[in-house]
Order: sequence, then structure tokens, then C-alpha cells
Amino acid sequence: MDIFHHIFFGLGVALQPVNLLFCFTGVLIGTLVGVLPGLGPVAAISLLLPATFRASPVASIIMLSGIYYGAMYGGSTTSILVNIPGEAASVVTCFDGYQMARKGRAGPALGIAAFASFIAGTLAVVGLAFMAPPLAAMALKFGPPEYFSLMVLGLTVLTFLAGGSMLKSLMMACFGVVIGNVGLDLITARPRFTFGLDILLDGVGLVPVVMGLFGISEVLLNVEEKLSQREILKTKFKGLLPNLQDWKESIWPILRGSGLGFFLGILPGGGAVISSFVSYGMEKKLSKHPEEFGKGAIAGVAGPEAANNSATAGAFIPLLTLGLPSNAVMAILLGALMIYNMPPGPRLITSHPNLFWGVISSMYIGNLMLLVLNLPLIGVWVKILKVPYPVLFPLILLFCLIGAYSLNNNPAEIGLMLLFGVLGYLMKKLKYDGAPLVLAMVLGPLMDNSLRQSLLMSGGSGTIFFTRPICLVILGVVALILLLPVLPLISRLRKTVEKTEEN
Amino acid sequence: MRNTDQSSGLFWLVVGIGIAISSLKYGFGTLHEPGPGFITFFAGAILIILSFALFLSSFKNREDRSNLQSLWAGLDPGKVLYVIVLLVTYTLLLKPIGFLISTFFLLSLLFRIKGTYRLKTVFFMSLLVTIGSYIIFEIWLKAQLPKGVLGF
Repeated sequence: MDIFHHIFFGLGVALQPVNLLFCFTGVLIGTLVGVLPGLGPVAAISLLLPATFRASPVASIIMLSGIYYGAMYGGSTTSILVNIPGEAASVVTCFDGYQMARKGRAGPALGIAAFASFIAGTLAVVGLAFMAPPLAAMALKFGPPEYFSLMVLGLTVLTFLAGGSMLKSLMMACFGVVIGNVGLDLITARPRFTFGLDILLDGVGLVPVVMGLFGISEVLLNVEEKLSQREILKTKFKGLLPNLQDWKESIWPILRGSGLGFFLGILPGGGAVISSFVSYGMEKKLSKHPEEFGKGAIAGVAGPEAANNSATAGAFIPLLTLGLPSNAVMAILLGALMIYNMPPGPRLITSHPNLFWGVISSMYIGNLMLLVLNLPLIGVWVKILKVPYPVLFPLILLFCLIGAYSLNNNPAEIGLMLLFGVLGYLMKKLKYDGAPLVLAMVLGPLMDNSLRQSLLMSGGSGTIFFTRPICLVILGVVALILLLPVLPLISRLRKTVEKTEEN
Repeated sequence: MRNTDQSSGLFWLVVGIGIAISSLKYGFGTLHEPGPGFITFFAGAILIILSFALFLSSFKNREDRSNLQSLWAGLDPGKVLYVIVLLVTYTLLLKPIGFLISTFFLLSLLFRIKGTYRLKTVFFMSLLVTIGSYIIFEIWLKAQLPKGVLGF
């Protein structure tokens, strides 16, 4: 089979000593980031992006991907031991994981979380290897109107799935499109929204924006809190291996979670977060003992942990096949690939097979490393959890400052990061989501380009988006999603009518 | 303002108007030949509509009586302001006085914000982190941090 030939080729790339080292560094940093509350994978990846410029593109992307799925592993540790999710995608793990720990079963909870993540990660990587090439082949038929429609769909789905008000998320997406188009216009070379500042001529950098919105803002929010002591359960981690009964209760949730996470991960917007919640709900419904959920049911840990891990692999599909990021992390990876002059898209698989198959295979190896890292090293991660916040937050700030400065050796980049830090702080206070802004910022210039090309193609007629079948279907879905929030209203109205008729 | 959505709605309304007007100045172009301000004009226009919708819908939500002050109730916003002032000062002084000195002072002040450590401990931690980060970023990763007055 051709696919196995490719996977072996990828393994050859991923097993090169340099790439192995980068993969290991990535998953190690990822786990660390996942364990430490207050620094998520988005901030960590943007922080390390400038540091990877000297490495080969393949090694860099392997490491940055490792941080992403490594963080999903690490996030579960804090959820189970401290009841504080290190990651948004690990919130659900708190429900039953912490309860298991309180009952003295922290070991099996951590163990099943690691195994579930490993199994799901592995299955998803296989899924990715099988699904990406045919999708990429199909995407070759897409023109600018299809791409524009797809990007509109991506942003709409993201705002729909993002937590909180859809109205606010859409507003952030609009603002993101404008931020993405700051700088010289590609066609006329006229500056837009630069306010006479030289630093803005090349556009607003993704790294300062992301570090500001997700790193600095989080620190500012924590600084104003009154000190709270984190309580770490003093359990001895005897027997991390789940017993046979645990496996019996977990295996189906793990398999279901893997499939669910993978497909939800493909959709734009918080795939890992959403899929963990959906998996938890599904397992509770399917369980013979739903009353045990929330009181320490192992299936409530296994399912969501599997789902959030396979979702991270699923998220790579739209990026690697269409060149469209589905979440903030993928947006940064898109930025990284652009810097390496390897624009992701349908041609990536054929033009840079070592990158595509190398990264996929490294994810498999990375999952194996994570299993080895997480089970015996739990004690180390618990020690790191004990680093007090008054010591931790200056370090996070320092890393952000150095990261922003070293982009162009320009303090103005730090200024930009601080500006977005304050904006992000206020946005979190006022319940605006930062993810749509980041995604729209990356898609902004691509949307501008494809919209203008589409209009040039059609001679200035907007009907081009409604006469091409693929566009029509995609935009139809967009309209449906935008109308969905109104639907509960309709269903409530229906119920009222039914009741009145019955009476 | 009655609640926070009204305040933020108004803010984004003003931002949206600013974006739309500036985009027209950059050149909207025509449908045949869209100009540099084409897509940003639409983004601004949609932002205006959405923020106006948010502003109006906030009147419906009578239960939400949270005003801007309530966002900081029971918290210590003074510390946030202090951190921001420190970071801005650091940004301005980084090039003239260099990475080592400015980072040492920044860390010394930051470690004291939430911690109750003795001055000696704070200075020791700051020195350790400053030298550690210098070794990692300047020597290993060759980040070319500003040298300033020390010359290295």
C-alpha cells in the first residue's frame, strides 16, 4: 500500500537524531506548559517560534506540534491532582479525575489519562495519514471563490463553537480581519492603518499579538487576584497502571472519544475543548451507571482525555491539506510555515513530503515519548506544580519580553505585545474570546486576496459565490450556522403552540 | 452606563466607525477592481452593525446590572497598573541600559509584587534568573539582546 510506504518514509525522517531531539524537546515543553496553569500552548508556541528559526523547518514544526499535543497530556495532571485545569481542554477531566484522586485513586486516574491520550493520539495519527492525501487532491480543484467561502465558513464555525456570546466572537473576527490587513497593500503598495509607524509597514506580527492576548493578559488577571494556596493532594502514586476492571470500563469510551475528537478536531474552533465536553456528555448518556459521573467514574476521565488528544491531530487536517488553520495554534503553525517559505495547502504533501510525513510520523513517536514521560515522571510534574505563583509569573513575563524582542531585535515589538496584553486583559474581563481574533488575523490577508481575485475573475459580479456549486454549498452551511442560535427560539415557539393545542 | 455590554458595545462601535472611514480614505475601489480599503471597509461596517446589536441587546438583559467597576470588585487592579508601568518602563530602558541591568531590576520589583520574600532572597533569585536567561538566550540561542552600558 502506498500509504504505508509514505509512513515508513515519514518514520525515516522523524527518527533522524536531530528531529528526535526536537520532538522530545517539544513534548517536554508541552507537558510542562500543560502542567503550569497560566501559560497555554498558544503562548508557548509563539514564544518559542523565534527560537526555532535557526533549525530546519521540519525539526521546528515537529517541535511546535509536540508542544501542542504535549500540553494536552500535561493539562490532565493538574486537573486530577489540583482540580485546576492546566488547559481549557482538560476542564472536563477535573469532574471525575479529581474525585478519583480524592478517593485515593489518583494513580489509575493519571494512568488512564495517559493511556487514553496515547491510544487516541495514535489512532488519530493513522486517521490523519489516511484522510489528508485524498482531501488535498480534492482541494486542488478549489479556486479563489471556494477558498474565500471556506475561510468565511471557518470563521463562522469558530465563532459558533467558541465559548460565550456569538455576537462578541463575530465582532472579534471582524477586528481580526482588520488587524491582519494592517501594513502595505500587496497590490497597490499603499500603507493601511499604519499610523505613520514603520514597525507596522510589514503588518502586525502574529507572535506579539498572541503572546499579548494569551500570555500577558493571563498574568495580569492572576496578579490582581488575592493569593490562593493551591492544594495538592498528598497521595502516594502507587500503581499508576489501571486494573482490568478500569480497562473494561474505559476501553469503549477511549475508542469513541478518539473517533469523536478526530472529527470534531477537523472543524474550526476549539476542537479539543468542545470534543472533551461532548465526549463526557456522550459517555454519561451511554453509561450503565450515569449517577457515578462526577463522583469518580473512570470513563469520565478516559473518554474526554482521548477526545482532546485526537482532536489535536484532527486539527492538522485543514491546515496541511487546505492551508486553513482551524484554531489559534494552527494559525501560528501556518505563520511558521509561511516564514519557512512552505505555504501549507494541497500541494504541500507533494512538494514537501518530508515535512508532511515527517511531522505526522513524529506525532506517533511523540505520543510514545509522552507515555514514557508522563507515567514515571508524574512525581517531577507534581513538584513543578508546587512552584509558587509569585515566582512563576515574573518568569512567564520575562520569557514573553525576550520572545517579543528577539523577533526583530526591536523594543517596539514588546510595546505591541503589551498593547495586546492590555487589550486581552480587558477582553477577558468583558467576556470577549481571543481565538476568533487571532484566526481572523491570519486569514485576513488571505481573505482579502481571494476576495479580490474572485471579483476580478467574475468581472466585478458577486454572483460568482452563488453560481459555483461548492461555494453555494459552503455558504449555505454558513447561513445555516448563523441562523442556528435563532433555532431554539423556533423550537420553544413550537412547544408553546403544541401545549396550547393540547389544552 | 448600566452594564458592561453597553460600554464595550459603544467602544467597538466607535472603533468600527473609525475603521470604515479610514478604509474609504485608503480607497474602496470598485467591484471590478477592489481597492486597498475594500475588505477592511466591510469588516468595519459589519463591526458597526454587530456592536450596535450588542448595545441594543444589552438593554433587554435587565438582570445584568454589572457595571465596569464591578469587574474589579474584591480584586487589586493597582497591581495590574503597577505591572504595566514596570513593563513599559522596561521596554523604554531596555536598549539604553541593556538587558542585564534592566532585567535584574525588573525581576527584583516583580518578585516582590505577590511574594513576601526577604530582600536578600529577591536579589538572589533575580540575579540567578537574569544570568540564567542571559546564558540561554544570548549565549546558546544567540538572540542578540541589547548590550547597553555594560557593553556585553
